[in-house]
Amino acid sequence: MLSMKNISKVYQTEKVQTHALRDFNLEVKEGEFIAVTGPSGSGKTTFLNIAGMLEPFSGGEFMLDNVNVGSLSDNERADLRNQKIGFIFQGFNLIPDLSLYENIEVPLRYRGIKAAERKLRIEECLEKVGLASRAKHLPQQLSGGQQQRVAIARALAGKPRFLLADEPTGNLDSLMARQVMELLENINSEGSTIIMVTHDQELARRAPRNIQVVDGQLADFTLYQNKSSDSVAERVQQSMAEV
Amino acid sequence: MLEIKPIFNSLLRSKAGAIMLLIQIAITTAIVSNAAFIAKDRIDFLSQETGYPEDEIFSFTTMTFDKELDIVQKFEETETMLRNIPGVKNASLFNAVPLSGSGSAGGLSLKPATEEGPDVRAAYFLADENALDTLGVNLLEGRNFRPDEVIMSASRDVFPEVTIITQALGLELFPTGDALGKTVYFGVAPLKIIGIAEPMKSAWLKDSRPDNVSIIPFVGASIFQKIIVRTEPEQRTAIMRQIEDLMIQDHNKRVIIGLQGMDEDKRDNNASDILMLRMLITLIIVLVLITGLGIFGLTVFNINKRTKQIGTRRALGARKSAIVRYFLIENAIICVFGLVLGSIAAIFMGQLLLENYSMPALDTFYVLMTALFVFIASLLSVVMPATKAANISPSIATRSI
Repeated sequence: MLSMKNISKVYQTEKVQTHALRDFNLEVKEGEFIAVTGPSGSGKTTFLNIAGMLEPFSGGEFMLDNVNVGSLSDNERADLRNQKIGFIFQGFNLIPDLSLYENIEVPLRYRGIKAAERKLRIEECLEKVGLASRAKHLPQQLSGGQQQRVAIARALAGKPRFLLADEPTGNLDSLMARQVMELLENINSEGSTIIMVTHDQELARRAPRNIQVVDGQLADFTLYQNKSSDSVAERVQQSMAEV
Repeated sequence: MLEIKPIFNSLLRSKAGAIMLLIQIAITTAIVSNAAFIAKDRIDFLSQETGYPEDEIFSFTTMTFDKELDIVQKFEETETMLRNIPGVKNASLFNAVPLSGSGSAGGLSLKPATEEGPDVRAAYFLADENALDTLGVNLLEGRNFRPDEVIMSASRDVFPEVTIITQALGLELFPTGDALGKTVYFGVAPLKIIGIAEPMKSAWLKDSRPDNVSIIPFVGASIFQKIIVRTEPEQRTAIMRQIEDLMIQDHNKRVIIGLQGMDEDKRDNNASDILMLRMLITLIIVLVLITGLGIFGLTVFNINKRTKQIGTRRALGARKSAIVRYFLIENAIICVFGLVLGSIAAIFMGQLLLENYSMPALDTFYVLMTALFVFIASLLSVVMPATKAANISPSIATRSI
């Protein structure tokens, strides 16, 4: 359902070209839970941004549910993001002036869902993350873990096919991190496909599939148990040593 | 898909900036609508129909210092000389120049001054039978002065027996509209109304009765004499340039002073109104600019403060147009409240001006037009920063700050 072939991303400054991703290949099947790890600056976030259509890529082919993302206009990408993808950010990214209810409502409004249905979905999602009683609170009245649960509720409300999580537990203490991870696992068990970028090896190991981004290229543990490329394997070991 | 409710709620939760802007919009609306109304009132005043072809007329004063001279006879010759200048339509001797701010006025009565009777304020011009033609004013009824009705005298022992008045003056003296042929009294002197003239203004546009004008056929030939000349409009400047030489050629013991076109006279006389008008227009422009800049600045500030939020909204599926719309709606909400407050303040301020400075009552049309104008100006001020905001990359959402 998500397929990246030879994706590359080049950041061009005045004199320097930086290759954030090169020859990046990935196939994601429906219902997978993938943890993406890798050293800082390896291209994890760039991969996630491209997977979430938050930024354009420089070359290669990216198919999302049989749609060729490279050929879409800005508006079409925004609509596709809205319909297919739920984002969970490290910094939660809740809108501070909006109540929890209104925060979850944001993507639903962009999709043009009617008020009555919005209400149903929001209440259902708040219920799912255990914050139904606090719909009218503002984000700042909540703990970090609670805020991240609201952000997850917001990501779920649109019933997306993909959840993209960028260090979802990065700003949380270990107890809260575990709660959030459990929530993600539940969501995955209900059928949602999750791609999660994380630094936390322990959390990553809980995911059924682990991939590692090194120097802008992919090292897929599940794949490379069978057929491995030496150069990539070496680089992985090297980088593991660094971490 | 309008997001009025969440935007409104969000504004309520961070009020400070919005309230400042709201107050600024309100003050601008209140002041600009009153200033625009007063400015329009001044423009109407300055551009009102005076009844004169101002660009064809000029006037000057001669001061004669030849004690031997028969002034009456000399001025008749001078008038003829002036009329014979190519391009001159007519010339006449006057005691005062219309619109110049200096002239004579008194009461015209239905009874001689010795008896009590209704008395109407009127400006009067003492001039000869060429007066109306020189001023470019036509008769509506009756006839012009005959030359034998014009008295030229250094004393007022002999006074004319006829007058021509404006229709406005006629109606005030005789509300039934039958002034022609009636007699009115200038002091004790009876004057028969032989003609009713088209509207023309007195020496003072701000007089309580600027339309009440009477012309009396009397030339009090004196060493100071005002002369009014009407020319072809395109030749006035050239003729004015040579008039002093021609007058001295005509008689060399005289001095020419105060040579000026009627439009210039009017401008000088109303300089304070023109200044006021300019100041009002400046005030309006400055206020609208300040408000526009304020809105622009606040939007830029809001955008910088909300970069991450905008990126997040884009990540959650907002199209660029939705981001622009967000800021437009937010601004429109603030604007509507500011405009309502400002309109109330405007009407209240108009009331104060009416009571304390005898300004005319503020027309609500001006408040509505100003509100509309401020609304449009404010939306325009938002468009640019909002478009900039819409171009914020959604990838900013994943960058930690």
